[in-house]
Amino acid sequence: MPSITKSTNTVGAPEGFREAALFTVGSIVAGFAIELLTGGSGISIPGWPANFLFLAAFATVIAVTGLGMRNHPAVAWLGGIPVGLSLIIGLALLSLIGGVLPQDPAPAGSIVARLRLNGVFSGWPFAFVALLFLFNLGLSLIWKAIPFRPANLQFILFHGGFWLALSCGLLGSSDLQRLVIPLYEGKESDVAYEMPSERPIRLPYAIYLKDFQIDEYVPQFALYDPSADRVIEEKSRMVPEVRKGALAVWTGIASATVVDFMPDALPGKDGNPVLAEGRKGVPFARIRVEVAGQPPVEHWINGGGPEINPQFFPVGNYFIVIASGPPKAFRSHVMLRGNDGQRRIETLEVNKPVDFMGWKLYQMGYDEKAGKWSTMSLVEAVNDPWLPAVYLGFFMIMGGNLLYFWKGVKKMEAV
Amino acid sequence: MTLVDFPAIAISAAACWGLGSLLQIPARKLKPASIASWLLMFGGTGLLIWFLASYWIALERPPLRTLGETRLWYATLIPIVGFLVEYRWSIRWLKYYCMGLAALFLGINLMHPDVFQKALMPALQSVWFIPHVVVYLVAYVLLAASSVAGWHNLWLRFRSKSTPVSESMSHYLALLGFVLLTFGLVFGALWAKEAWGHYWTWDPKETWAFISWLAYLGYLHLVARKTNVTTLQWYLGLAFLVLLVCWFGVNYLPSAQNSVHTYSG
Ligand code: HEM
Repeated sequence: MPSITKSTNTVGAPEGFREAALFTVGSIVAGFAIELLTGGSGISIPGWPANFLFLAAFATVIAVTGLGMRNHPAVAWLGGIPVGLSLIIGLALLSLIGGVLPQDPAPAGSIVARLRLNGVFSGWPFAFVALLFLFNLGLSLIWKAIPFRPANLQFILFHGGFWLALSCGLLGSSDLQRLVIPLYEGKESDVAYEMPSERPIRLPYAIYLKDFQIDEYVPQFALYDPSADRVIEEKSRMVPEVRKGALAVWTGIASATVVDFMPDALPGKDGNPVLAEGRKGVPFARIRVEVAGQPPVEHWINGGGPEINPQFFPVGNYFIVIASGPPKAFRSHVMLRGNDGQRRIETLEVNKPVDFMGWKLYQMGYDEKAGKWSTMSLVEAVNDPWLPAVYLGFFMIMGGNLLYFWKGVKKMEAV
Repeated sequence: MTLVDFPAIAISAAACWGLGSLLQIPARKLKPASIASWLLMFGGTGLLIWFLASYWIALERPPLRTLGETRLWYATLIPIVGFLVEYRWSIRWLKYYCMGLAALFLGINLMHPDVFQKALMPALQSVWFIPHVVVYLVAYVLLAASSVAGWHNLWLRFRSKSTPVSESMSHYLALLGFVLLTFGLVFGALWAKEAWGHYWTWDPKETWAFISWLAYLGYLHLVARKTNVTTLQWYLGLAFLVLLVCWFGVNYLPSAQNSVHTYSG
C-alpha cells in the first residue's frame, strides 16, 4: 500500500482544511444560535408529502450543482474530503453531546434546555450538519457515478447507501408512528395511544387478546440479609437454581439442599403444597437446611403470589427465600380483525413481530407487578412508510462493504 | 465447566503465554525451543477455546451477554490476531502485545468475577444475537490490534526504525475492523427493528457505536487524503479509546440511565 507511506498532500482538489473546519464550526454555531432564539424548540420535520418534496428538491440541487458546476473551485471544495472530514468530526461531536447527556426532558429555562442539549438529534445544529453532510456526500457520489465506471461500484454502493439511509431515516421520522395498544384477556381493542402524550388514536383494525402467557426460567433461591437488604453470594458464584437435588452453600452460614420441588403449586390444608391444576400456582421447594453444629431441618418455602403468602426460612439473622425465575418468553395469542373484514389468528412474541395491514405489531410488555398472573398485554404498533428506502440503503452499504473488504484483502496480498 | 474452574484456566493460559514468550529468546537458535514455545502459546489460547466451548454448554446459551463474557472472547481471540499477523507479515512483536492485552482482560475477569447466570432475556433470544455480537467482537479485536500496532509504529518512528510493512499492517487491521464494525452496526439496526420496533432510536449505546464508526470513517478519509503516516498512527492509537468508552464506558455515563442496552453490563 504505497499511498500510506507517502507523506505528501498531492490530490488535485483544493486543500482547504482550515476553511472546512471554520465552515463546520460556523454551521454548528448558527444552529445553536437558532436554538437560543427559539428557546430550544428544535426542528420539526414536516410530514408526507412535504418531506418527500423537500428531499426530491434537495437531490435535484445536488445533481445540478454537481454536474453543472463541477469545475468551480467552491463546488469542488464543497464536495471534497476536507469538508467531508470536518463534517464527520462535527457529527461525531454533536453525537458525543447526545451520547453523554441524558436525552430526556430538562427543566425549561436551564441552559441545557435552551440549547436543546437534551434533544441534540432533533435540534438545529444537528440538522445543519446532517444537511451539509448529505450535500458533500451527494456531490462526491454524483461525481463518482457519472460517468459510471465499474471500479467505482464500491464507492457508489457505500456512499449512496449511506446517503439514502441517512436522508430517508431523518426526513422520514415525521411519518413514523409508534403506538402502544393495551390489551386485556377476553377483550377486543382498536384504540392505541401515542407516547408520551397518551393521545388516543383509532386504528383501522382491532385486536382481541385470547390469552397472554409467560414462560419463566427455573426459580432461584437465595440467602437474604434483611439488615443490609442484599443477597449473600453463594460460594460457587452460581445463582442457585431450584431443582431436585440442587445444593447451595453459603460459606460459614448455612447450606441448603432441595429435597422436593413443585414448580406450580398452591398451599394445601396440612401445610404441604398441592399441584395447581388449571389455576396459576407458585414454585414450592422443600429444602434441607444445615447450619454448623445443629441438626438439619426440612421445610417448605415458596415465593408467594397475588393470592398466596410467601414462606421463607429463617437462618440466624438471614432468610432463605425463593423467587420465580426471570421471564424466558412471553407471548399474546390474538385475533386480528381489519375493518376491511379480514381476520387472522396470530401469536405476538418478543423478536417475532407480525405484519398486518401495513403495520408491524410487537409484543412489548405486560403488567410486571402481576408477573405471570398478568392478564394485560402491551402491544406496540409501528408504521414506517420510509422503511424500504432506509433498508435499501442498509443493503447497499453492506454490498459496498463486501466489495471494500474484497479489494482491501487483494491490496493486502500485494504488500 | 463453570466459573468455578475459571481461575485455574485463566492462570494456566497466562502462564502458557508467558513461558512461550520467554522461550522465544532461545528459539531463534534452537529449533526444539521454537517448537515448544509455539506449542505453549497455542496451548494457552487452546485452553481458553476449550473453556469457552464447555462454558457455553453449561450455560445453555451463548456466553455473550455480560461484559465479563465478552472479555473472555476478547482474551481468546486477540492473541490469534497476533499469531496470524506473524504468519502473514512475519511481524513478531504484535503477538506479545496481544497476549499481554489478553492476560490483562483475564486479570480483570479474575478481579470482577461474574455470577453464573443462565437466564437470557427475551429480547436477546434472536437469530441476530450471535452474528451481531460476534461481528462486533472481531471488529473490536482487529481495531485493538491496529491501535497497538499504531503505538508500536510511533515508537519505531521515534527510533527511526519504522518499516512500510509494519505501517501497512496497522492500516489493514483498521480497514478490516472498520468493515466488520459497519456490518455490526447495520446488523444491530436490523435486529433492533425486529426486537424493539425501530432500527435507530439514538439510545446511548447506539449513539456511541455511531461515534466509534465515525471515528474510523474519519481515519479512512484521512488515508484517502494521503495524510502523513505519523498522524495516522497517532489517530489509530487514540481511536481505540472511543471504542473502549462504547464498550465499557457507556454504562457509567449520565445518559445511560434509560438505555435499553444496559443488560449487557
Ligand atoms: C458517511 C459519510 C461519508 C461521507 C460524508 C463521505 C464523503 C466523502 C467524500 C466527499 C469523498 C471525496 C470524494 C472524492 O474526492 O472523489 C470521499 C472519498 C472516499 N470515501 Fe467517503 N464518505 C463517507 C463514507 C465513507 C465510507 C463509509 C467509506 C468506507 C468504505 C468511505 C470511503 C471513501 C474512500 C475510500 C474515498 C476515496 C475515494 C477515492 O478517492 O478514490 N467513505 N468520501
